[in-house]
Amino acid sequence: MKLLWALAPLLVTAQTISKPPVAPGRSIYLSNCSLCHGATGEGGRGPNLSSGTPVHGTTDADLRRVISKGVSGTPMPSFRFEGSEMAQLLGYLRSLRTTRVAVEKAPGDAASGHVIYEKLRCNACHRIDKSGSVYGPDLSRVGAGRSLAYLRESIVNPSADVPPVYRGVAVTAADGSRVTGIRVNEDSFSLQLRNIAQQFVLFDKSEIKEMGERKESLMPPYSNLTPKELDDLVSYLASLRGAITKQGVKKGVEVR
Amino acid sequence: MRSVFCAALLMLAVRAEVPYERLVNASSEPQNWLTYHGDYGGVRHRELDQINTANVKDLRLEWLFQVPKSGRFETVPLVVDGVMYFTAPEGHAFAVDARSGRELWRRRHRIPENALLVGGSINRGFAVLGGRLYMATPEGRLLCLDSRNGEELWDVEVGPWQKGFGATSAPLAVKDKLIIGVAGGEYGVRGYLDAYDAATGKRVWRWYSIPGKGEPGNETWSGDSWLRGGAPPWMTGTYDPQLGLLYWGIGNPAPDLDGDVRKGDNLYSSSIVALDANTGKLVWHYQTMPHDTHDWDAAQTPMLADLDWKGQPRKLLFQGNRNGFFYVLDRVTGKFLMAKAFARQNWSRGFDETGRPIYEASIDPTPDGNRICPGLAGGANWMAPAFNPQLKTFYLQYFEECHTYYSMPQQFKEGKPYWGGTYQSIENERKWGNVKALDPFTGEAKWSFEFNKPSWVGTLSTSGGLLFTGDDDGYLVALDARSGKLLWKINTGASMATAPITYMVKGKQYLTMASGGALLTFALP
Ligand code: HEC
Ligand code: HEC
Repeated sequence: MKLLWALAPLLVTAQTISKPPVAPGRSIYLSNCSLCHGATGEGGRGPNLSSGTPVHGTTDADLRRVISKGVSGTPMPSFRFEGSEMAQLLGYLRSLRTTRVAVEKAPGDAASGHVIYEKLRCNACHRIDKSGSVYGPDLSRVGAGRSLAYLRESIVNPSADVPPVYRGVAVTAADGSRVTGIRVNEDSFSLQLRNIAQQFVLFDKSEIKEMGERKESLMPPYSNLTPKELDDLVSYLASLRGAITKQGVKKGVEVR
Repeated sequence: MRSVFCAALLMLAVRAEVPYERLVNASSEPQNWLTYHGDYGGVRHRELDQINTANVKDLRLEWLFQVPKSGRFETVPLVVDGVMYFTAPEGHAFAVDARSGRELWRRRHRIPENALLVGGSINRGFAVLGGRLYMATPEGRLLCLDSRNGEELWDVEVGPWQKGFGATSAPLAVKDKLIIGVAGGEYGVRGYLDAYDAATGKRVWRWYSIPGKGEPGNETWSGDSWLRGGAPPWMTGTYDPQLGLLYWGIGNPAPDLDGDVRKGDNLYSSSIVALDANTGKLVWHYQTMPHDTHDWDAAQTPMLADLDWKGQPRKLLFQGNRNGFFYVLDRVTGKFLMAKAFARQNWSRGFDETGRPIYEASIDPTPDGNRICPGLAGGANWMAPAFNPQLKTFYLQYFEECHTYYSMPQQFKEGKPYWGGTYQSIENERKWGNVKALDPFTGEAKWSFEFNKPSWVGTLSTSGGLLFTGDDDGYLVALDARSGKLLWKINTGASMATAPITYMVKGKQYLTMASGGALLTFALP
């Protein structure tokens, strides 16, 4: 697994900062947040916090709420900080934004990207706003949750970062026939997969001769796209920011 | 060899789609359990005999699934090609591998914290249609979930809890619609049965179980009592695809125990009705209790069977009613054919030609109390009956008890209980649970099996010659369908309030039952 967020944020339109700003909250940030939001807030598995377009608001109260409550239905966890830690963390987050970095902006055309998404039949594995397949991740909010660099990498080199719940499992059954799918559940004696036809394939382990995790993503790499097509597709994905309802984010709660 | 295995594997890979045609022919897929009753007719019999009278003694626990325990676990799971879908109290829903009980997804609908839940937080199960699951919520909504991952696709209001409505029954999927009725009879609602479009959740029709001003039947309610007359169709009904008719048992009138404020027959409370499934128009009705004052609704399963009646093949409807009588009707016309008491009763002197009951002189609750049998909960209740077509035998579990019924005039307040009286057990009078095998042609008992306590467990019949049921002390039992002899029992450790199902995966037969906070599945070693 490559640490994508360590890569230079390619799409930041202004010059990137060479050194991260030093602030009292930095160590709190590094140990709690950098895994998803990147060492300098450039994003990765989580959104870009330094130059992304925030969806949850920009005031201290907004940040406090997001950090202490998390975003239900997304990987953003909730945190409890003691005493002055929260204030220090907020100070550090602010300092990330005050550096003269322009807002990260996707360079392509989202509408054309939508057409490409349809044409390449991405919905044979993905779902947006309840339409499409449940095989791969729901993309309804992928623009709110990932940096542009991460989205780009997801298309051209999906194997760079495969979240554990979407790691492919290849099974050879007792008679030699094979099934590949996503693990829905597993225990010592049974295995539950979902295949690309979106069917559950249910095994007793006594029926399995061999099983192994695939290293590569179950998503094929799309390396033949022109730079323009890729920009457009990334723009489209970045525009997917789902709806937030009164109960918080409605999508994806307890759903894979 | 290889192609044979591929076929087996395909069977294992789950067909998520359950079109209407599969529901129509549900009984010809005995390996699955596709509707609340297991089949449109509410027969609850399965042609599965791997578990049978000879080996049922070896039945043992295969797996157990724990749900967050928060109310009576009244669900009846569905099984579709190796996957089991079920609901639990407080808006919970699950999909599991039916062989191992391992979870495939779970989902929770959040019930508003301040909501008044007229039926508690319970739920009785899913309907499946296409690749979608449908469930009621205790605060009166209908949800549509994606069966692939449990995601909520839409959510509509069936009845507002603020006015005393709720919904606890499993919806019935018919063609492209979901049929569901409201609960809330004890809160003086005006009952109705609804049909919703399966794709969008848009309401297609609503049939009020109490006719409005100017409609025939409204005159059977004195004054404006019809506005709060109860009569909710709170259980799941049955359906005849050939006739295109829905059969539904309707709740009792409100206030339950005080009939003075609602003089008249109070149609269509405590009635069995047949509705056109496309339009929701009433085709016929038969009222089991005109002007009921005992909470004796007719919500029990209206079971459909085609048998020779006095030498003529006839489309019949059976119901073991809360008032202690077993009814046989012609389900094409609604004609009354027979009624016979299966429980102790002291309210009926017989029936006139039309099937209208002739009441004993004084059966109403009084300020000082009136001893009437059966008790307030019945007789029969929502415990599922079963019918074994080979043995031509109807099975039901019911309460053998009597109560003292008191009337207490009460002012109606929206969203507040509206009983108009109360009831009491009778000291030093024995009460118990009874399972009876009835000859449907005579209503006579072929055998009966007693439980120590009145019990809320329904029945399941199989071609293995078995009748499965259980009791309030937690015993799940298998009886010999011919003799009523006890063949197997296990104490599940909690009282039960639903009915068992059976199904088959990869050639192995299973039996599943909800008890306490667990779903228990049994199989042979
Ligand atoms: C496991 C990954 C992960 C970790 C760890 C994590 N986040 Fe997040 N965070 C996310 C994701 C994903 C989102 C996007 C949520 C959404 O879809 O709205 C997010 C959103 C946010 C947002 C809102 C951004 C916006 O667009 O409005 C803030 C602020 C934030 N995180 C701060 C933090 C802080 C501070 C920490 C550490 C204390 C932290 N996060 C730790 C994954 C993570
Ligand atoms: C054969 C199935 C398949 C197809 C076709 C497919 N994907 Fe994927 N995709 C997956 C799977 C599985 C994952 C999760 C594993 C991973 O991240 O590599 C994934 C992950 C992603 C992610 C990362 C999601 C996240 O939450 O981080 C994005 C973005 C994405 N795909 C976009 C696309 C686009 C755009 C297309 C069409 C050009 C496409 N996918 C076509 C299966 C597919």
